[in-house]
Amino acid sequence: MIQISDLHKKFGELHVLKGINEHITQGEVVVIIGPSGSGKSTLLRCLNLLEHPTSGEIVFEGITITDQRNDINKLREKMGMVFQQFNLFPHKTVLENITLAPINVKNIKKDEAEKIAFKLLDRIGLRDKANSYPNQLSGGQKQRIAIARALAMSPDVMLFDEPTSALDPEMVGEVLDVMKELAGDGMTMVVVTHEMGFAKEVGTRVLFMDEGKVVEKGSPEEIFCNPKNPRTKDFLAKVL
Amino acid sequence: MDMVFLSKYYKFFINGTGITLFLSLFGVIFGVIIGVFLALMKMSKKSFFSMIASAYIEIIRGTPLLVQLFIIYIGLPKVTGIPFTDLSIGIIAVSLNSAAYVAEIIRAGIQSIDKGQMEAARSLGMTHSMGMRLIIIPQAFKNILPALGNEFIVLVKESAIVSVIGIHDLMYNADTVRGISFKPFTPLFIAAIIYFIITFSLSKLVGILERRLRAGDSNI
Repeated sequence: MIQISDLHKKFGELHVLKGINEHITQGEVVVIIGPSGSGKSTLLRCLNLLEHPTSGEIVFEGITITDQRNDINKLREKMGMVFQQFNLFPHKTVLENITLAPINVKNIKKDEAEKIAFKLLDRIGLRDKANSYPNQLSGGQKQRIAIARALAMSPDVMLFDEPTSALDPEMVGEVLDVMKELAGDGMTMVVVTHEMGFAKEVGTRVLFMDEGKVVEKGSPEEIFCNPKNPRTKDFLAKVL
Repeated sequence: MDMVFLSKYYKFFINGTGITLFLSLFGVIFGVIIGVFLALMKMSKKSFFSMIASAYIEIIRGTPLLVQLFIIYIGLPKVTGIPFTDLSIGIIAVSLNSAAYVAEIIRAGIQSIDKGQMEAARSLGMTHSMGMRLIIIPQAFKNILPALGNEFIVLVKESAIVSVIGIHDLMYNADTVRGISFKPFTPLFIAAIIYFIITFSLSKLVGILERRLRAGDSNI
């Protein structure tokens, strides 16, 4: 579904991604872990071109997204993204946050878009917040709305950029529950996270990144119970 | 100041106020339109556009309006060969001047919006211009409203300067009344009161608009 070949990203002199090769298939939940500054988020943000790779190629559903001739806006409709800082639109109600893109990008009728939105709100248990504004919500509620907003475009893959890192500890659970449910429904997911419990429980594959490279990859059991690379061992010893 | 004085010269003040309001209104409208373009140019990734906009803004902000007014008053008809009326010269000078300040206000307002907002919009498949129109500008507008209101008030007051090229605005007519009535003080006092009424109403109006716009996202 997503094929990444020899991906490099430089910010000026700083070489953040040093040749990433990866294949993500339908239905996988790929969890990317690693120390901060290892390039995890940059890799994720390259997947929908929020960052433009310096070189290399990304192919999504048979279309080369790194080729400038392809319409990135069309491709982004199929890739939902959830941010660390939620990035809800503060001047719009919860319902408008969810329906804005379907109405304006996909040209879905308003009542149709609202029907979809209410279905999603039911799923995350926040139907009663439809007419609230984002700053009336808790962090956990905001992030669940942000997930619903991305899902409203019915994407084929969901990208999560440290979705629980900005949350108070007691709110992490409710967001992870929504993500687990999503994984259970067979959604293809790429998740950058520090939640090792989530990686173990939900991940179908774990990538460990360090200094711009995927140092080790494998099933959660392989990575967490029997890491081979010394840097993986070192990292896991610190966080577990 | 007595009633006889007012009944004798009130027409001067009413006409002058009309011209001042007319000039300010068009100054604001053209100032905002040109200002939006300047702001977009200054934020453009193409350095050619951003350099032109920066240079324009710096020059306008770094020279007195009075000098700009005379340059346009004498230069524009000479260069273009078109005999502009004094009033249109006044409007052109005031809007060109105001545009530079408006551009900086708009640019600061847009750049004050967290860049995550545009990223979220783009990640949902919106184009850059759609993100600007639906997400960034509505939020920026709220933030810049006080500064923009302030700029409008400044513009009303600064417009008094056009009296030097003979536009019959409030200031000019107050001067005229001073001359024909042999009263040096009273006409100025009346003009000051009228200017104050205009700017005070304007600032109240902006305040109301501000509160109305904020209604949505209070209740923190």
